[in-house]
Amino acid sequence: MALARPPAVPHTLPNPDLVAALPRLRRYARVLTGDINRADDLVQDTLARAWEKRSLWQAGSDLRAWLFTIMHNVHVNQYAMRKRRQAESSLDGDEDTPGGWQIAVRATQSDRVELAEVLVQIGRLPVEQREVLILAAVEELRYEEIARVQGVPIGTVMSRLNRAREKLRRMSADAPAPLKVVK
Amino acid sequence: MSVPVSDDDLNAYVDGQLPPERAARVAADVEGDPAFAARAAAIRAHNAQLRDALDPWLSEPLPRELIGAATSSKSHRRGLGRRLWPVLATAASLCIGVALGWLIRGEVLQQAGTPVTFQRQAALTHALYATDANRPVEIWANEEERLVRWLSKRLSFQLHAPNLSDVGFALVGGRLVAGNEKPDKQRISLLVRKDGEHSHETGFRYALEDGVGVFYWIDDNCGYALSGNLDRTQLLSIAHLVYGRLAALESTPK
Repeated sequence: MALARPPAVPHTLPNPDLVAALPRLRRYARVLTGDINRADDLVQDTLARAWEKRSLWQAGSDLRAWLFTIMHNVHVNQYAMRKRRQAESSLDGDEDTPGGWQIAVRATQSDRVELAEVLVQIGRLPVEQREVLILAAVEELRYEEIARVQGVPIGTVMSRLNRAREKLRRMSADAPAPLKVVK
Repeated sequence: MSVPVSDDDLNAYVDGQLPPERAARVAADVEGDPAFAARAAAIRAHNAQLRDALDPWLSEPLPRELIGAATSSKSHRRGLGRRLWPVLATAASLCIGVALGWLIRGEVLQQAGTPVTFQRQAALTHALYATDANRPVEIWANEEERLVRWLSKRLSFQLHAPNLSDVGFALVGGRLVAGNEKPDKQRISLLVRKDGEHSHETGFRYALEDGVGVFYWIDDNCGYALSGNLDRTQLLSIAHLVYGRLAALESTPK
């Protein structure tokens, strides 16, 4: 990219770009939380954090990857807190995933059965694998960028991606999908 | 015998992340081994399915709170945005059109066997007026206040003109349009219609009408259609922006 870097660090984020990044941020949040409402809360928290840390954003760098990184971190912290709270007041024995995967295909799209199936299947992946899969396959981020988003070595990204795809392959191979389309 | 392809190679190959010479080697290995070829095809197909499943989310309308959170800085720096929108930055302009009595006209036309949808109307209006060199608008932007007052009065609701100067569009002006009504160049038109009844369709819809792209949506009993000869992604970004700014304008009473 041939954008000249401005002489000084900007005191604000580029607004149109932030708005333009919203649909993707929202989608990533849904993939992380598995819940449309919690996803919007996560986007809001992420934006608030982005404004707080705006002096750290380098003008001309990929705003989207920077926002994904912030979102990843906010989500990790929230997830840890929610889990702790749930462990303390543990009457509902929902052991591992706080909230759970609520994303389903809308009725209007349910003619695409295989798409519904894909959504159900990615919901069964551990969040860190799901995250890598979406960032690589859908957002088409470089593996190095994904490593920065998750704060892990690139080798970890590649093994997570490999495990995610291996699991999905087994899911579609051995279970001809008892399909749950929630409306 | 060929060197065995690792799982990591296969993933990186399909995801297009290998440097060219390495990619060529893996490609040769994959082609020579039906099992690998099948796995590569399966990963590729799955990537495509994932995008098909998740891309529709991108065109959902954004909640106002999120737009507010994305635009909540006190200072709006111009210029920075402009650099990021190089395609739009030249000779760009915005027209505000308002369709009045469209429903009646629509009915007449439908009876005549020409169904005219709102998005089609928007594309036609854009096409007709945005190319008009002499009088694309009835009231020019130097009289913005009067324009907004006049159109608001005619429609009996408070109309707003979103400021898009940071993405390189300057307001040209506005006009009242009654029926059907095509443009070119870097110009976009926003058509606003007051709807009588409440509609449940709130999502951003996209239509291509005679080569003019239109994003249209309904919000608070008003129909909005943004049209222009831009590609779908650019137009969608501006549609999100317009939606957000209108929401912000409406929530701040003057």
